[in-house]
Amino acid sequence: MTINKPKFGYYDYIKLWGLLFCVPGIIFFSIFYVYPIFRAIQISLYKWNILERPVFIGFRNYTQMFTSGEFWNSFLVTFYYVIGVVFPILLFSLPVALMFNRPFRLREGFLAIWYIPVIIPLTVAAILWKLMFNPSFGLLTLITDPLGFKNLRWLNDPALAMPSLIIISIWRSFPYYMVIMLAGLGSIPISYTEAAKVDGASPIQNFLYITLPLLKNVLLYVSIVAVINSFQVFALPYLMTGGGPGSATRLLPYYIYQNAFEYLRMGYASSASLVLMLVLLALTIIQFRIFKDNE
Amino acid sequence: MRPQKIVTNVVFYLAMIFGATVMIFPVIYMFSASLMSRQEIFSTPIKIFPEALRFSNYIEVFTRFNIHMYLNNSIIVAVSVIAISAFTSTLVGYSLAKFQFPGKQFVFYFIIATMMIPFTVIVIPLYLLILKLNWANSYEALIIPSAMTPFGVFLLRQFILDLPDDYIDAARIDGSSEIGIFLKIIMPLSISAISATSIMTFVSNWNSFLWPLIVTSRQRYMTLPLGLAQFLNLYEQEWHLLMTSSVIAVFPVLVIFLLFQRKFIEGMTGMTGLKA
Repeated sequence: MTINKPKFGYYDYIKLWGLLFCVPGIIFFSIFYVYPIFRAIQISLYKWNILERPVFIGFRNYTQMFTSGEFWNSFLVTFYYVIGVVFPILLFSLPVALMFNRPFRLREGFLAIWYIPVIIPLTVAAILWKLMFNPSFGLLTLITDPLGFKNLRWLNDPALAMPSLIIISIWRSFPYYMVIMLAGLGSIPISYTEAAKVDGASPIQNFLYITLPLLKNVLLYVSIVAVINSFQVFALPYLMTGGGPGSATRLLPYYIYQNAFEYLRMGYASSASLVLMLVLLALTIIQFRIFKDNE
Repeated sequence: MRPQKIVTNVVFYLAMIFGATVMIFPVIYMFSASLMSRQEIFSTPIKIFPEALRFSNYIEVFTRFNIHMYLNNSIIVAVSVIAISAFTSTLVGYSLAKFQFPGKQFVFYFIIATMMIPFTVIVIPLYLLILKLNWANSYEALIIPSAMTPFGVFLLRQFILDLPDDYIDAARIDGSSEIGIFLKIIMPLSISAISATSIMTFVSNWNSFLWPLIVTSRQRYMTLPLGLAQFLNLYEQEWHLLMTSSVIAVFPVLVIFLLFQRKFIEGMTGMTGLKA
């Protein structure tokens, strides 16, 4: 018998193990992440209240949604909220990160204190701030009363309810993005800025022409993640305002939740959630464009 | 020191202290209100600190609110999720970092892509899946869908990528099995990345609200955030007890944070995987 090359060698055996180790991941992410997307698309074409059989209605959920005032209200209110949260975060987190980006006494301690709101569960933050926003015995009256704003009904005032939620969100998430920026700053080699200093660059020039361009990817990451995260805030309106007063704080995730789990309109809620995903996708692409165009 | 430098230093520290006060003050108030009586919270002028330290609120939330039941569920879920995901994320991360097999690149990008999927979109189909599996009101529903995260796999893969191949090759020559290599070499070497991702997993699980709200309707399976939401509904005027429950919900995360501050921030912001 001639000696054949073995069909299944030692390296194939190792490859097989690699594939085997990977299988749990493939199965898991297919079932819990990818399959639900396709299922959502399918459900969005049906009228279905879970209890009865689903009825195929084509794109009627979508046409109904795009002609619904409630949907457009939630859509606009969500943009209001996202812009109100993301812009201050982008504006403030870099200066604060720059403050932390040098050695000073008690640096670690200050960083820990600044970071604590991030670890507070959102449910706790909601309850705590509901107490603080109370018009008669909330802690904020200590600041607003001397300023002449008596009896501010934060969460019950249609004009103030959304700013209230925005304040809480900024308080709770801003240090998170600040620390990401800090990590970005830390990865810029000191030699770059030192060299510029030797060449006579002022601190402002140094920041504008060296730090900022090198930080572009981190800024892009922060703005994308901040938009994605703030688009999905659910617990705040659910616990603090119930979407009110009126529909002033009925953010899209809460609108979707109510349609799906309170009114049992699974198809309609799915179509709204898919619109939310497409909007997020579009915003992500737009942000990539903006950052790349400035190159 | 030059006077100019002293001035900038003073301004710097004042800004630091002001910012820190704004960030921490609500949390301090939560602790102090948890020690107040019902009347003290409603009193005018408003009190920031209690007159005396009363710990009776803490006894009351256990006897009246049954907070230990929710606490218990939260702990069971968090511990199980951490235990399972530490194992699964490392296994998949290892496979993507150190093996060559057809389709590996595809699987990697497939998992990365799932990071972009908003939870709001998949929550309805996931709920229907849970119903079909008959998992509504069960620990399975709370644990299994969180048993792995794309972010965890990604971070572990990045970390294991930097481990030297020599360890693995040497073990193979010594006749160690592939499973043995994973358990006895890769897992122990990855412990720092595993702990960073575990902290992230713990926090997101401990704070998770929407998913438990949807899949549990019986109190027996409700986690702490759901318990808090219920208390807020039922006992709206008992702010002292609501604050006490809030402190109990924050406490475990706070302790872990203060103990492992650096690792904690690293894990939560994914700084181990982020390269600017």
